[in-house]
Amino acid sequence: MANTIFELKDVHFSYLGKYPALRGIDIKIEKGQKIAVIGANGSGKSTLLHMLDGLIFPERGSITAFGSALNEDIFNDKVFSKDFRKKVGLVFQNPDVQLFCPTVKDDIIFGPLQLGIEEQEIEKRLERLLAILNIKDLVNRPPHQLSIGEKRKVAIASTLIIEPEVLILDEPTAGLDPLTTRHIIDLLIEENISGRTIITSTHDLHIVEEISDTVYVFSHNKQIVKSGEPDSILKDAALLQANNLVHIHSHRHKDKIHIHSHIHLDHHAEG
Amino acid sequence: MLKNNNFIERSIMGALSFLKESVFADEYALRKGLLQSLDPRIKAATFLLFIIQAILIKDILILLCLYALCLSLACLSKINLGFFLKRTWIFIPLFSLFIAIPALFSVFTPGETLAVIDLLGFKLIITRQGFFGALLFVTRVITSVSFAVLLSITTKHFELLKALRIFKVPQIFVMILGMCYRYIYLFMEIIENTYTAIKSRVGLEVHYKRGQRIVALNIAFLWYRSYRLNEEVYNAMLSRGYDGEPVILHDFKTSAKDWLWLFFVIILFMGLTYLGAKARV
Ligand SMILES: Nc1ncnc2c1ncn2[C@@H]1O[C@H](COP(=O)(O)OP(=O)(O)OP(=O)(O)O)[C@@H](O)[C@H]1O
Ligand SMILES: [Mg+2]
Repeated sequence: MANTIFELKDVHFSYLGKYPALRGIDIKIEKGQKIAVIGANGSGKSTLLHMLDGLIFPERGSITAFGSALNEDIFNDKVFSKDFRKKVGLVFQNPDVQLFCPTVKDDIIFGPLQLGIEEQEIEKRLERLLAILNIKDLVNRPPHQLSIGEKRKVAIASTLIIEPEVLILDEPTAGLDPLTTRHIIDLLIEENISGRTIITSTHDLHIVEEISDTVYVFSHNKQIVKSGEPDSILKDAALLQANNLVHIHSHRHKDKIHIHSHIHLDHHAEG
Repeated sequence: MLKNNNFIERSIMGALSFLKESVFADEYALRKGLLQSLDPRIKAATFLLFIIQAILIKDILILLCLYALCLSLACLSKINLGFFLKRTWIFIPLFSLFIAIPALFSVFTPGETLAVIDLLGFKLIITRQGFFGALLFVTRVITSVSFAVLLSITTKHFELLKALRIFKVPQIFVMILGMCYRYIYLFMEIIENTYTAIKSRVGLEVHYKRGQRIVALNIAFLWYRSYRLNEEVYNAMLSRGYDGEPVILHDFKTSAKDWLWLFFVIILFMGLTYLGAKARV
């Protein structure tokens, strides 16, 4: 199918050959989809996203992207790898990893410079992103001296500036204040409307409905236990609870203790 | 025991904050002074000339003038003189211990006797030539070190790195230098955070021996952590299209002021070379 971007078949992966991180994953992602990946800590979300970004490769099973099978060899082909890097962008979970240049500006423009995008065009995109993310006054600061939330915004900018067809984000809103979270989600939705595919991993169930049309739930044993529309997944309280996605909430009403699971879906930060 | 523990803590924290302050302080580079306003390429080139001059000059008076020039440049660049002197003189004991002090004595530098030190029956004779030689040496070291330090604290670290490219330092080398800089910082942050974390978990009264063991354990862990981080950072670079040949943006702009400064330094350089040559005759 021409519209299929990623197709994973029975993918297995382990770190150093002994720490399993993915155990038989089947996923198919179409162009323009919004995908959310949720699951407990250590369930393999980041590993999957790194694999989609062509940084690690299956030990068993196969992954194809844009119709070609991904493996180490194919990335030695400079034409292919440049094309792939232009098409697929990943925001890492740990912004410290992603920011390695002396200043925020250098970091944001690193990607497009490597990919040979024209300088004038880079400047234009930079200005736009700085305004949207409200990080104009950080440009000349060294990224390692920023707060965690500021770092995350810079990391997001450094990927968005590549304007990739497929945007992969590993917990993009962790550590951000509510208003900034709102801005980022609006930005992602906008990008999706203009035709980009977005794939997000998150623990933040508030945002799942907005950033996805398909949700994959990863279980403790590094497999997908359920996938489907956000609506049906978010209603499945037992599933969410079994995967550490909701917490049991107890509070006291006049000497009586009420215990119920708590999803925080109601107080949605709107606007 | 508590005293010992405090000692470890004080020395670790002290060393860290000194390093951070001296290597990573961007504060001076951000002030609006004379040197900060110059183009980093021209600044680096002219400071190289100053340092060459400081190494070549044989006349102590000219050398002292050069040193005075360096100090006035520091003042014009809004740098606290006390801070600057402390920062530069700290290098002197190191050098003098190995080179200047032995040279004082007659064994190494024969000549007229200036003073005699009686050390447990050994007569150490300080010679005139030795004394002036040592003085010249110290002045030379302090002058060149001062210029080097002045350059580094009035230039933003990354601008200096970029300026290095102008002197045909290979790109990958500059890149590595930049990464090292980042890593040292990260490394220190990790040490600092780990230390604070230990303290918050174990409490203040860590037994001296145990404190030592924790520190040793953490150093091994630290290497592992920074190794993993390194790998991940490399992945992050790949992810954004890095393929072994980094592309860097050149956006330096020179103004009339830079050329004026360059002109001044070249005239000065020639003048000093001439004076130096005349003094030797
Ligand atoms: N570099 C590594 N070396 C060894 N094991 C690793 C490494 N990275 C991840 N793992 C292991 O792989 C498994 C999956 O990790 P992964 O980072 O994909 O989880 P995650 O779902 O992203 O978790 P989190 O929500 O905490 O980010 C975990 O069991 C983890 O211990
Ligand atoms: Mg993760």
